[in-house]
Amino acid sequence: MSTRPPGRAPESARAWLKSLAHQVASYRRGAIVAGTAAGLFTVLQMAALAYIIDRAVISEWTAIDLLPWFIALLLALGLKAIAQGIQAHYMARASLAARNEARSQLTNAWKTAGPVRLLDESAGTLAREWIDHVEALHGYFARYLPQMSLAVFVPLLMLTVVVWFDWLAALFLLLAAPLIPIFMALVGMGAESLNQRHFEAIGRLSGQFLDKVRGLTTLQLFGQTEPAAELLQTRSDDYRRLTMKTLRVAFLSSAVLEFFASVSIAVVAMYVGFGLLGYIEFGPAPQLTLFSGLFVLLLAPEFFQPLRQLAQHYHDRAAAVGAAQLIVLRLDHLQSAGGQPEDATFTPITQPPACTRNIMLERVSVRFPDGRTGLSNCSLVVGQGESLALTGPSGGGKSTLLHVLAGFIKPTEGSVTVFCEPPGTEPFAWLAQSPYTVHGTWAEHLRLTTPTASERAMIRALEAAGLGELLRSRPEGLHSPVTEAGLGLSGGQARRLSLARVLLSEARLILLDEPTAGLDRETEQIVLAALQKLTGEGRTLVFATHHPSLLGLAHRVLTVQAGEVSHG
Amino acid sequence: MADLLPWLRLIGQRRGRLWVGALLIALTIIAGLGLLALSGWFITASAVTGLAFAAGSRVAFDIYLPGGGIRTFALVRTVGRYAERVYNHETVLRLLADLRVSLFRSLARESVMARARQPGASWLSRLTNDLDSLDTLYLRLIAPTGLAIAITSALVVVSGWLYGLQAATVTGVMLAGALILATWGVFQATVRLTRQRVDQLESLRGMTLEHLEGQAELTAASARDEHSRRLLRDAHTSSEDQARVDQRIGWFGAGSSFLMYSAAVAALFTSIGRFQADEISGPVLALLPLAILGLNEVYATLPEAFGRLGGTLAAAHRLNRDIAPRGEPTTCARPPKNGSAPLPDAVLSFRNAGFQHPGLPPVLVGLDLEVKPGERVGLTGRSGCGKSSLADMAAGLAEPTHGKLFRNGYGLQDGNEQWLANVSYLTQSTQLFDDTLRNNLLLADPDATEHDLWNVLDTVCLGDLVKRLPQELDTWLGAYGRQLSGGEARRVALARALLKPADVIVLDEPFTGLDASTRQTVIANLSLRLRGKTLLAFAHAPDALPEVDRVVEL
Repeated sequence: MSTRPPGRAPESARAWLKSLAHQVASYRRGAIVAGTAAGLFTVLQMAALAYIIDRAVISEWTAIDLLPWFIALLLALGLKAIAQGIQAHYMARASLAARNEARSQLTNAWKTAGPVRLLDESAGTLAREWIDHVEALHGYFARYLPQMSLAVFVPLLMLTVVVWFDWLAALFLLLAAPLIPIFMALVGMGAESLNQRHFEAIGRLSGQFLDKVRGLTTLQLFGQTEPAAELLQTRSDDYRRLTMKTLRVAFLSSAVLEFFASVSIAVVAMYVGFGLLGYIEFGPAPQLTLFSGLFVLLLAPEFFQPLRQLAQHYHDRAAAVGAAQLIVLRLDHLQSAGGQPEDATFTPITQPPACTRNIMLERVSVRFPDGRTGLSNCSLVVGQGESLALTGPSGGGKSTLLHVLAGFIKPTEGSVTVFCEPPGTEPFAWLAQSPYTVHGTWAEHLRLTTPTASERAMIRALEAAGLGELLRSRPEGLHSPVTEAGLGLSGGQARRLSLARVLLSEARLILLDEPTAGLDRETEQIVLAALQKLTGEGRTLVFATHHPSLLGLAHRVLTVQAGEVSHG
Repeated sequence: MADLLPWLRLIGQRRGRLWVGALLIALTIIAGLGLLALSGWFITASAVTGLAFAAGSRVAFDIYLPGGGIRTFALVRTVGRYAERVYNHETVLRLLADLRVSLFRSLARESVMARARQPGASWLSRLTNDLDSLDTLYLRLIAPTGLAIAITSALVVVSGWLYGLQAATVTGVMLAGALILATWGVFQATVRLTRQRVDQLESLRGMTLEHLEGQAELTAASARDEHSRRLLRDAHTSSEDQARVDQRIGWFGAGSSFLMYSAAVAALFTSIGRFQADEISGPVLALLPLAILGLNEVYATLPEAFGRLGGTLAAAHRLNRDIAPRGEPTTCARPPKNGSAPLPDAVLSFRNAGFQHPGLPPVLVGLDLEVKPGERVGLTGRSGCGKSSLADMAAGLAEPTHGKLFRNGYGLQDGNEQWLANVSYLTQSTQLFDDTLRNNLLLADPDATEHDLWNVLDTVCLGDLVKRLPQELDTWLGAYGRQLSGGEARRVALARALLKPADVIVLDEPFTGLDASTRQTVIANLSLRLRGKTLLAFAHAPDALPEVDRVVEL
């Protein structure tokens, strides 16, 4: 319902799906070959069956006489089952490979966009795209796409065989043939609008339900739960009536397919019957035998079967195109130049005198594609072990400067070196103010950024971050899940956990963006003490802040305003 | 399987519709089966008669009856299919609403206290998915399985009558095998994998969020690529499991259809002898194998449905767990009134009260607080200090886990209903409904007049803004309507809380998202409006509180 992006999306979504399909072409080909083989064995199966009945009834062969034919029939059945199994195998593989590819494309796009631009969108939305929208591609690759080809190949195969035996009967099947493209379109359009309607109704219904459940406490506080339940009921009834109106029409399209399938079987049966009785004296009718007649009859439903299956899988396509639209939009958005200055021509500074163990910015400018200036002509040296505070109005360029030092943003002009190397080459520690979803145990979480940390070091870092008490209350200490019993960390606790990660890091450079913003007093004190300690250890700290005590902690305070740095 | 019972019972309330729907499907299937079988019979009979004609004998052969039969079956199959689809889709939509309304009612019946906190977004999305998988229980699982069993049995009985016990036994056994493979077999082969799927996706989601929110830190520590690889590997494992399920469904389905077709072969093989002994005619010989071929339509849908059953069972299990009354804190572990009498004139009195979530350190310890009628108390404290738990207790949504709490002199649950009716509580999270602004407000007081509504909107400085909207009070809010800013939504929620005719007002962080000047105006208006009422206001800092008589720091 809310997932309908504007504009040109369908074409590019289809193109993207096609490119994915191309990537998994070998699996898809496998599925199609196996499916066609299954169709071929169906033909053999029906031939054997018709032959056995013919011989038994007309030539009065015994079961023993017919034994080879029975064995052939069973063989055809067995081979068909194997082909079907293999088809299922390839279809599942095709979908698996396609989803993997889609996921790695998205992960790469996240990387390209860099941490700053990536989180313009909420992490929840991005995660939903990566998980749920990619999952929605499953049916398209696993069912719809191979069936699309099989719906052409298998009926053609059947038709060829029928023409061979009785072209007039084939003509009856073909009565429907000029209609088949129309079928496909009808089925397509019908199924499309049907699906849209159906899913829209379900979406709205769930939406109504969720809305009420989400606000249940509110409803209970106001004593309004029963009226809400009644409202839910009436709205559901309204949606149902509305949906059924369209569904009644939409189902007609598949009824047409159903009609032709039934009528073709009936017509073939009547034709063959009258032919065998000798009532039809033109064309191939006089040559009809019980074998060829039965065989043609048995193939008639198989002729339509792939088409009917395709109609059933149509909603897979609609779901995939919808999801693909959103994914493609995201890929485009992340890969477009967006806020990341392009063509960052980094020229390493090679002159030995310039390469000290310092952080150097030389005439660095950052201009965003939307015309905003992030930094202009900014030169700066931060000595090793120095603690530098950046202050200034919000939007003045503090964060941009930090992002440049981190290598998250590349400068449009000028050069940056961090300890003689491009920024981001050597691991550093980063403390942001954004919340963090914690997954897994304390130890796993801390080892995200410091994989080699010892248990003692981890406990020490957590103690220093003021989480010691919380940790001790957990039964398995470091190896118990951070969030238990469905209760998350409070905002302050999550920030302390981030701090613990910084404390654990042995990086020489530590960048902090507003480390104390929005913190309660106790956490604030912990952060201050920790930074004091880090400064004392001789690490290089650069932080953006307004906080007076933090400013007091710095060796040097710079004001960043309108993209320019001044000593303040 | 017991997990499905309550849902089956609920679905069963539409018994009439279910039977009609099933009959329509049965009619369609029987017509399809009949079409093929009768056509086979007709062709064989024609062939035999044609040979007799050719030999010069004049045999009477009625072509009209089978001809008519074939036409009827063709028509019934088409019309039946259409009718079945329309009818059963309507049933599904009805069941969908039934499930939701009934689930909502059970959730609502549960005491406010048992749920304690607002449900999280992930719980809600799981609830939606779980319900979705139950929606089609009837159409995907119950009806096809029931029909497959019924039609198979009927076919076996008919074949016993036409072809004798031996043929019936052989086909019966083989068809039963096919049926078991397509249902129980598939279920057994996939249940382990499908049951854990939701949890697997949940944990994958957690890891993805961690990856995204931690981009900066992971990049800084040069650990992003490694984490990204781990993430992709986990996603692959989960998809791989799903692919395995699909493959098993495919192989079991193929095996089942092999057995089913083999039953047709066996039927033919065993009845040839009877034909030779002239116990059955040639056309009848063709009848059974062809009818069995027609069964494919019924059997083909089963493996897929049973391959998803594991997930459906897990969904039902979670839903049962979620709506089952949890822990019933209403049971009186302690006598309703106990110990020293509270202050007779205290609206709320906390005595050494504490609050603790099970298995976690307490969030609130040893709190003593008396609130007198008409008193306005502000409570401040850092995050995680138990503000919201205290607000919940004051409002009657929770009880202290330690110590005592008296509301209007009553302990524990005594008079909780009256208390809930007399307290208005603005929870920390803003909760508006997909509905008009008017209906959102009227929740608090269905009898409020137009004047009351405008009045309360003016109190929260929204009156002018709403007057400028084309539909004023009838503006639709929420997903399909006007998107309010965080501060606007907060003020609507505040207005709603103020509208409720209650003597005690509990406000938890009432001014989230309001800019300083609006906040000042609202604070001034509030002082007027709340005159004479008892007020408890919670905030992270004193400047985020309305005007109060005293401030308690937690």
